[in-house]
Amino acid sequence: MSAKIAGTRIAGVVSARDSRHGLWFLPLLVGLIGGVALAATAADFATTQNLLNLAAQAAPLLLVSIGQMLVVLVRGLDLSVGSVISLSTAILSIDAPATVTIPAVFVMALAVGLVNGVAVTRFHVHPIIATLSVTGIAQGITMLVRPVAGGTIPPIVTVLVNGEFLGIYMPLIWVVVAILAGWKLIHGSRFGLHLFAIGGGDTADTFGIASRRNILLAYVACSTFAALAGMFLAGRIASGDPNIGTQYAVDSITAVALGGTQLAGGIGSLQGTVIGTLLLSMLANGMNLLNVSSFVQTAIKGLILLAVIAIQPRKTIGL
Amino acid sequence: MRGALKKFGVGLLFATTMLVGAASAQDVQLMNGVVPRPGDDRKTELDQFKKDGPWKIGMSHFGVNANTWTVQMAHEAEAAAKLDPRIGQFILLDANISQAKQVADIEDLIAQKVDAIIVTPLTPTSADAGIEKAVAAGIPVIVHTGLTGTDKYTVDIQGGGEHFGKVMGDFLVKKLGGKGNIWVLRGLPAHPEDINRYKGLQEALKGTDIKIVAEDAGKWQYDTGKQVCETFYLNNPEVDGIWSSGADMTRACMDVFQQYGAKIPPITGEGNNGFFGKWIETGIDSIAPEYGPEQGAAGVRAAEALLEGKQLYKRYVYEPDGWDIEMAKKHYRPDLSANVWFPTSLSEADLQKYYGKN
Repeated sequence: MSAKIAGTRIAGVVSARDSRHGLWFLPLLVGLIGGVALAATAADFATTQNLLNLAAQAAPLLLVSIGQMLVVLVRGLDLSVGSVISLSTAILSIDAPATVTIPAVFVMALAVGLVNGVAVTRFHVHPIIATLSVTGIAQGITMLVRPVAGGTIPPIVTVLVNGEFLGIYMPLIWVVVAILAGWKLIHGSRFGLHLFAIGGGDTADTFGIASRRNILLAYVACSTFAALAGMFLAGRIASGDPNIGTQYAVDSITAVALGGTQLAGGIGSLQGTVIGTLLLSMLANGMNLLNVSSFVQTAIKGLILLAVIAIQPRKTIGL
Repeated sequence: MRGALKKFGVGLLFATTMLVGAASAQDVQLMNGVVPRPGDDRKTELDQFKKDGPWKIGMSHFGVNANTWTVQMAHEAEAAAKLDPRIGQFILLDANISQAKQVADIEDLIAQKVDAIIVTPLTPTSADAGIEKAVAAGIPVIVHTGLTGTDKYTVDIQGGGEHFGKVMGDFLVKKLGGKGNIWVLRGLPAHPEDINRYKGLQEALKGTDIKIVAEDAGKWQYDTGKQVCETFYLNNPEVDGIWSSGADMTRACMDVFQQYGAKIPPITGEGNNGFFGKWIETGIDSIAPEYGPEQGAAGVRAAEALLEGKQLYKRYVYEPDGWDIEMAKKHYRPDLSANVWFPTSLSEADLQKYYGKN
């Protein structure tokens, strides 16, 4: 009898592990413990001002990570998000009206997403190789458009990022809108369901799911989210910067993996990605408040990525 | 008569107040060679930022490990803060050459309710929003080693990058008799200091027949500078002079010429121990414009003065004359590594700790 109960329990655990949403509750637990520890050790952590700062600091990573998650769900990786961010800030800093530069950013994102998607789905290039190549191309164009940081960002962008709407701090609105959009895409649409199905096995096509089209759309959506992150960052720094996106490819993959999304595809959740992003941002913010060197911060982020990836066997991920 | 006396008394009081005010601002010696910007008499108010200790001072550094100079500038700031027992906490945040991180760092310093913030901006816009927020929150902000787009800061100490570049440019113009081909080794792309130094060079070259035949960013680093210089040399070793925006790159370029057994052309340097050693050893034609990492300490001294309630000018400049080889001999320290920069206010113990060869 007891063996039967134990068996049921194990089955329950296995079932939870294999659930589509992944292990998002573990990072949530870590985040809660970390948050309480930070509030106890860093006097200024839990203040309203710092929490608003945290929202502004987390917003660009959250945007990129939601996009990255869409690609990871279909067993891909997008390393070009960083260069899309840099190129977005570069385009926005061109001396041209906002009616030109803002649409140009999204046209660029669409083009990058299409190239990535076509390379992966039509030419069967490994996602890492495809997006790394596109990274080089986008970075080269960025250096042509804005070789050094500078320029002026359209006032509408800086207002949208730094201003307030009905007394609400704009970065908070960005965070909420990003989460709602991500939720709709991932958990509230047929597209999201298809991504889980495609990532879950090789049989999606047999159920009438157009894998190629959905994978291509995932790359396009990922680039679009990266472009939005670039727009947010351009508003924050009030200029274009050819190198500002450098860290975001690794950081977004870390946030997604940290949130329980399996790099092997098919398993993950938006709540996990949000938690992963908040954890990383809280780590940077908290360590600043605790006066920890930025080099130690970088090393700790690397260790976290290593720990998270180590849980996901290389053979399963297919890297 | 009484009215006249009253007017005289009021006038005397006003004049005295003005004189005392001016004297207070002038009394504060931030660093040798740092003087109020000519033509700009704006000052902080007496006691405007006065606070009792212990003080919490924050610093947002654009990139501590960008090169050996930036490392020492951070050491100078920390050492100056340690000297003053009224500074209870000195928080140094490193933006690690990231504009986004610098914005976040300044926000985090404001959230920690520091009593003063020292900012060395990465680019002319990377710190603007943070500076304006801090000043709006009543926190005095001292800016040095970099430009800002805003003028909302409390005190600004500008090292005169344009002056620095012009001193070097003028030296080459003089050495080359106003005619010839030069190479240009630039610093960190987009850094305001690099932009300004280059402007100074262009100013010096105006109306001359000196041509820039090769130009690239050595990022103020020995390794990158050496790669750039080696590429230039292998492409065409014929050059009449070299304008180097920083001494680590100068040393690297001198090493390239020595490696190929070639004569080193006139080359500009900087107040760096490694460069001084090579300069003295080779006796080459050079000049070392002054741009001391002691500015890190000057920023802390400005913060201390403001929190003591002293009056400071809003803007200071740091544009001393260039150093010749005699000055280099006077400062050269063979017992210290090549990574020490001058002028410095580090104690002998700190110099030995960070740079001692033994």
